[in-house]
Amino acid sequence: MSRRRFLQRTLAAIALGGGATIPYGLARLLAPTPAEPAPPWQRLRPPGALKDDAAFVAACIGCGLCGEVCPPRCIRFHGRDGGDQANTPYIDPEIKGCILCGKCMAVCPTEALTERPREKVDMGIAQIDRTACYPWVDRGICGACVGICPLGERAIRFRMWNQYQPVVQPGCVGCGLCVEVCPHPSLPIRIVARSEGTVMKHRV
Amino acid sequence: MNQKANRWFFLWRHLNKLRWVVLSLVFTMLVALPFVYVYQTYVAAHAYDLLAPDEKRLYDLVETLTAPLTDDPAEDLDAIKGNTWSGTFWGLQLTDPLAVVGQMAAALEVWWPLVLTALIPVLLTVLFGRFYCGWICPATFLYELNTNLAVWLRRLGLRTGRRRFDRRIKYLVLGLGLVLSAATGAVLVAAIYPPAIIGREIFYAVALGGFGAGSVFFVITLLFDLLVARRGFCRYLCPGGALYSLLGRYRLLRIQRIVENCNDCAKCNAVCEFGLDPLRDGFGQECNNCTACMAVCPTEAMTFRIRFRDQPDQGPGHLGRLYRKQQGGGREAA
Repeated sequence: MSRRRFLQRTLAAIALGGGATIPYGLARLLAPTPAEPAPPWQRLRPPGALKDDAAFVAACIGCGLCGEVCPPRCIRFHGRDGGDQANTPYIDPEIKGCILCGKCMAVCPTEALTERPREKVDMGIAQIDRTACYPWVDRGICGACVGICPLGERAIRFRMWNQYQPVVQPGCVGCGLCVEVCPHPSLPIRIVARSEGTVMKHRV
Repeated sequence: MNQKANRWFFLWRHLNKLRWVVLSLVFTMLVALPFVYVYQTYVAAHAYDLLAPDEKRLYDLVETLTAPLTDDPAEDLDAIKGNTWSGTFWGLQLTDPLAVVGQMAAALEVWWPLVLTALIPVLLTVLFGRFYCGWICPATFLYELNTNLAVWLRRLGLRTGRRRFDRRIKYLVLGLGLVLSAATGAVLVAAIYPPAIIGREIFYAVALGGFGAGSVFFVITLLFDLLVARRGFCRYLCPGGALYSLLGRYRLLRIQRIVENCNDCAKCNAVCEFGLDPLRDGFGQECNNCTACMAVCPTEAMTFRIRFRDQPDQGPGHLGRLYRKQQGGGREAA
């Protein structure tokens, strides 16, 4: 190989290597400091999702339409960390909760999200840690979760005889807006699987 | 020297420009739609006063552009959503056939509403062949620009890839992708199909704060095309291209060579992105009717015909030297 040819090739390799970093640089430029993603067990599927998660992953073609119509931008997508769930949607209520507008269910071309009224949505159910929630430990008044709830009294209300201690009701569908607004740093309100909720177990 | 009439060639030679217009429009749409979506989220939140200055600029720009069309942007601008993998146009849902096949393989059952959304693309493919690859695919837009870049690099004296492989590899990729989809229960072909990746990644980058893993894969395919084989991913590896080729095998509309007009200049072979052999009638199922060979033909020797099969090899073009030699004459005999 002549020196000239060698130089040309080296320059080409450098140029191409540099060019390959352009998308990475763009990604870094466009990306604001990313919020810490929730661990997988705290990620919710969008409303109307198939209950069996394996069936959901098999049905979803990863087109991103649900995210592209979501008004509060709460639907995010699994990346490389998701493994075979890559490009399937999830909602992290600690970042953004779902407003139950139903656009994602209407637009989904597959059976992954099927349309249903907002009362029939089942993303989970809210669960309040009464040893941490401010009103429950007498550390002041709050009511943020009750105030934000889109379903009102049948999903979450204040405890009788007390203005500010929130109690989850069986009508909660687990949209996660209460998690989004909860001011407590340890988030004493979380969305758990419907069968795991204390309300459903003990009717309290 | 009697040339055969090719009456509509003056139109067909410009179809390649129309194709570039269509490709640019589709790609522009894929870039614009996420910005429109972000604008819609601002509108839905009634949050103009809370926006950062650059967000306000985006808001004002999209508002200026869409204000003549709608007075309820949060709802009305939902009319066009999605990408070429799956999208809705005023309620009409269209899905890539590969998405349907992949989902069938992953779920091992047929969901008819999804199959119906792929009906129009499948019908068009049966009629016009692999036209999606040449006329719509947003990856084609970038891959052809990549080919042009390779030409520029070659002019600078750099060597770019010109290897050739077996074109049947992509059918293997399609089969393997479907088998793996069935085995893992996830639509894996979506992760290695460039148009799906591009639609997704642009949306992630604009609306969700950064490119995902797919963009790395796409850059690798670009480098593969540049350094190893010209247009190599589409020619040899793309599972969607394989599916479209199979669907378009008995397509109705074909480009064919008029042997009386051909002078064997081989410009068509040089320009063919898919490495086919138009010069010797070797179009086959992988021709995507992109009309690049028509655009370069100097002697009006390419035409559209409605046939189920390609012509067999018609031999050297009648205006070429080889044909004259075969006819037993020298230069004076012509």
